[in-house]
Amino acid sequence: MKDVQYLVLRKDNLSSFIAHLSKDQKVMAPVSKGYGNYAFEEVTSAEQVALKYIPTILPPKKFFMPQRETLIEYNLQSGLEVNAVLEHEKMTLFGVHTCDLAGIQCLNMVFSERPKDYNYLLRKRGISIIGLECNEYCDEYASCNIVNSNMPNGGYDLFFTDLGDCFVVHVNTQVGDEMVERTKMFEKPSRTHFDAFMALREAKSKIFKNEIPIEPRDIPELFDRSFDSEVWKELEQKCLSCGNCTNVCPTCYCFDLLDEMNLDLNSGRKFRKWDSCQLEPFAKVAGGENFRKSRAARQRHRYYRKFEYPVAKYSRFFCTGCGRCSRACMADIKLKDTLNALIKERMNKLWIKWL
Amino acid sequence: MKKPKVAFFDFACCEGCQLQVANLGEQLLDVLGAIDVVEFREVMSEKWDKDYDVAIIEGSITDEHAVERIKKIRQRSKVLIAYGSCATIGGVNGMKNGFDLEDAGKYVYGKDYKFFPTIKTHAVHQVVPVDYFVNGCPIYQPELVAVLKAALQGIPYYVPDYAVCVECKLNENVCMYQRGVACMGPVTKAGCNSWCINNGNICYGCRGILSNPNESGAKDVIAKYSIPMDMVMNKMNMYNKCRELGENE
Repeated sequence: MKDVQYLVLRKDNLSSFIAHLSKDQKVMAPVSKGYGNYAFEEVTSAEQVALKYIPTILPPKKFFMPQRETLIEYNLQSGLEVNAVLEHEKMTLFGVHTCDLAGIQCLNMVFSERPKDYNYLLRKRGISIIGLECNEYCDEYASCNIVNSNMPNGGYDLFFTDLGDCFVVHVNTQVGDEMVERTKMFEKPSRTHFDAFMALREAKSKIFKNEIPIEPRDIPELFDRSFDSEVWKELEQKCLSCGNCTNVCPTCYCFDLLDEMNLDLNSGRKFRKWDSCQLEPFAKVAGGENFRKSRAARQRHRYYRKFEYPVAKYSRFFCTGCGRCSRACMADIKLKDTLNALIKERMNKLWIKWL
Repeated sequence: MKKPKVAFFDFACCEGCQLQVANLGEQLLDVLGAIDVVEFREVMSEKWDKDYDVAIIEGSITDEHAVERIKKIRQRSKVLIAYGSCATIGGVNGMKNGFDLEDAGKYVYGKDYKFFPTIKTHAVHQVVPVDYFVNGCPIYQPELVAVLKAALQGIPYYVPDYAVCVECKLNENVCMYQRGVACMGPVTKAGCNSWCINNGNICYGCRGILSNPNESGAKDVIAKYSIPMDMVMNKMNMYNKCRELGENE
């Protein structure tokens, strides 16, 4: 395989491409759920796929770490018999936007740390990813430019760019190459394809601008100085602690580990399910102490887990700019508004110093 | 291990939660394998005159006879489980508390209402101590089984003290507010796996209100979606009127 390889898939071949893929494994793609909502669901033809979609209700993380996942099964009948459960299946995700590719990359880093999370990594190994480029903003909630996720940065096997009547396809991995070989529907791109492709990228650089008036490299420092900000106190009044923001976040991975016995009270299982730092019981420990009792402290923690702590630990933001948290918040807590308010408060403090 | 003696009782209710138990299907066999049912009016005619290991109570307490009866059951029971909205939060019977009791009596029984003395509707824990709660109207079967297992193991069961929205989002439902419908999910305790919303209905708040709802935030949301306040209160009181009585009357 060549290092960089571009091919073309004509749009009228998309349906047979997806049908071909879905013959030997599940194909998951964005489908419309009505009321402007989308979700990754199993498809068998291109007609079901929403090629133009705003980020799905849940990000693709649900395929890598399902909402509920059994890790261990045990039996106490004769001593203690424990068996690890490793569930996984082969599937292809089609139409993953660059924000969600970034989200998967973040999760990959987290779950590859030692001790490695084999449940996650095994699922990951069975999942092939076909990305899909956003030619323009999905809506006003997105802030993908400031976190540099509006352009493809790897993390996919194939990457589709919509040029109207065809897709330009970047083949990034061996798995991607095999998909191309197996389906035999891809053509060599012509000069016109490349020109149109370059023109699109050029146009994109004019459409996507920093959504928040700050340089990305200055964001960690802004947070360094905003721990006691008034902005968090305002969120205390608004937040309903429903956990929507973290459940829909492509990089939130917190989970709770629970035991469940069968009715025989001899056998049972240990499973994990998604948890959220926004829920009141999350940081409650034995004795009733709660380390983040106020909604303000919980919201602040969420923002620090996106813009400050992961920068120190992984050298990247754990916000992918997808805008899901802002879209899903009934109380109108919007990521861009929060950052703008922090910047404004900081500027005011600086002015007061100078005057 | 000897199988625990379990009895089911009903007070003011529709007996729908008992039906949920009888309708457990195949799992009923597992349940019956783990417990010894000694009283259950809906499914058997035998009675039991000794103590109960577990008493499972449906229905709310709405007159003095019921108060006496539930106290006696409590005395005879090692563990007491309240199940269904009527028993756990007062449920729809609580709507009576919004009226003058005499007016309510006349409305239902006409001129003979004095022969049917009534008291304000109480949830079971507002009259006697309750060890476990299985919320919901009707109960969510998997939760009943989970509570039963906790009771058999002698460990606590924690009713999730976060909003139905959490489970609803995990089920990837389109938010009812985006469909233009007011839903009680944001202030109602989870644990039902957003059963109603999964099936296209709204949340009616049948599992009770969160212990620490954000009232100012909820008011903002109600204003944002231009929902009339009295409509919200009506929705709230449909199941949750008894919360005004406090924890133990």
